[in-house]
Amino acid sequence: MTNGRVLDVAHVEAGYDLLQVLWDVSLHVDEGEFVALLGPNGAGKTTTLRTIAGFLQPLDGDISFRGTPIGGRPAHTVSRMGLGYVSESLNLFPAMTVRENLQVGANSVRNKAQVASTMELVFQLFPRLLERRDQLAGTLSGGERKMLAIGRGLMASPSLLLVDEPSLGLAPMATVATFDALKALRERGVTILLVEQNVNTTLHLVDRAYVLEQGRIVLEGTGEDLLSNPHVQAAYLGI
Amino acid sequence: MTSAATNLRSVPLARRFLNFTWLTLGLAAAILVFEAFAQPSIVVTTLVTGGMWALMAAGLAMVFGVMNIPNFAHGELFLLGSFTAFTVYSPIREALLNDPSLTWLKILGPFPGMVVALVVGAIAGVLLEAVLFRPLRRRSREQWVMNTFLLTAGVSVVVINSYRLTIGNDFHGVPAYWDVPPISLFGVPISVDRAMVLVIALVTITLFALFLQRTGLGRAIRAVSQDETGAQMAGIDLNRIFILTMGISCALAALAGASLLFLFPAYPDVGLQPLYTAWFVVILAGLGNIPGAVIGAFIVALLQNLTIFYIQVGWVDVLPTVFIILILLFKPSGLFGSAVKGVWEQ
Repeated sequence: MTNGRVLDVAHVEAGYDLLQVLWDVSLHVDEGEFVALLGPNGAGKTTTLRTIAGFLQPLDGDISFRGTPIGGRPAHTVSRMGLGYVSESLNLFPAMTVRENLQVGANSVRNKAQVASTMELVFQLFPRLLERRDQLAGTLSGGERKMLAIGRGLMASPSLLLVDEPSLGLAPMATVATFDALKALRERGVTILLVEQNVNTTLHLVDRAYVLEQGRIVLEGTGEDLLSNPHVQAAYLGI
Repeated sequence: MTSAATNLRSVPLARRFLNFTWLTLGLAAAILVFEAFAQPSIVVTTLVTGGMWALMAAGLAMVFGVMNIPNFAHGELFLLGSFTAFTVYSPIREALLNDPSLTWLKILGPFPGMVVALVVGAIAGVLLEAVLFRPLRRRSREQWVMNTFLLTAGVSVVVINSYRLTIGNDFHGVPAYWDVPPISLFGVPISVDRAMVLVIALVTITLFALFLQRTGLGRAIRAVSQDETGAQMAGIDLNRIFILTMGISCALAALAGASLLFLFPAYPDVGLQPLYTAWFVVILAGLGNIPGAVIGAFIVALLQNLTIFYIQVGWVDVLPTVFIILILLFKPSGLFGSAVKGVWEQ
């Protein structure tokens, strides 16, 4: 096990039925790092996260989380090991209140005091959720739902959080709020792997990033490196 | 994902549904109040049978909401419960006939049978999930609702006929659990057996509701019914929840069968009428809605008892069915059906 390596994805191939989406994808995330996975629509970003989170069986390659192989393990086991996943469609429980959604997020935590203190932390991070704690999740606005999904993902105190396109479908103001929250999380020491299409903002925020195109990793580097990379500038930044 | 626009559009719809639902509930309450003065026995029998239909329907609704299985073998769990209770209670009854001075045994009466029925029902539910539904789920989830409907209907036929072959067509029942004079409830004489059934139903439903609302496991069950993927993301093991759901649902049906042994003796297709009634209730209330099923059970029981009293027993399935058809014409998702859909509809 490499020191401080939280997630190691090595030569992973994955897909749906006859359609292979990922080809030889390798990436890693170290302790405390904020890493982004960028790329156009259909590049395989979501498929990568789904494979890591255990919702998709890799066809080939290895995935290890803190030195333990997790490739092909069922999603709930991966979640219980401390790998949180916030999906694109959020998958909230619409007929439950905000508080109940968070409680379900802490499903695997036995210690009640710990659940209470994590919930307090989530409410600190998203004061909006505190205001709406007794409201049904199905009645929240788009931005509030993202907050709740991230909050639920945090309830089990994961040591790595996968976040899929938090800016998708949000108004600019709500996008800024979501990115601020991710920044705050990172300052608290949460390791994050973020999938985004909002390349400019993301590259200014993260430590490192990978660029995924047509199912293959084509570029890798620090945020600054990639911002000055001619391919990134031409394809994603419109410079 | 629901956008803000669809939320806005659904507001007037929601209001209409509330009004219609409240109208029906108000009407039912008015009839109950009226009958409380005019014919109190109707109120009492409604409470007793309604309580038992609630046990049946709540389990049916939960299995549909959580696992998307329309369980047409639910009545056979009722049969299992009544036969189990008969088997356990018979020696107790014999001992009491031989020696009526065994007061403690007299008080204990049907309770051991009910507890055993509860356990046997739960085991049967776990087996159904482990032996039938899990392998099917692993193989394919396509056409899931249709396939499980056929599967459970098949289980029902197999169980009824196996019962007929091994145990026979005889009625295995008891005239009464407790051979004591009736007590008086709201001025209506009611047998101790029926009063006990009412108490059992109320206690069980209350415990069941508390379990779903207040405990972590109950929340996990509700979470799975609302979003399976989200539940897995939260570390919930779906297989464990499915086993638990099926076990609880079948245990409730078996308890209903055991409690009603003095009304419904065990015979091969004793489960059919409770099954149909439970389906009336679940369709009336809105598929998968557990609290709705409890309220719906009392509405259906009221309709049945009104029919029996004012028309005749033969019409007992006709009038509630007509009523349900009328309600579905105006409110296709049932009285308490809401915009929140089961997993398979998403």
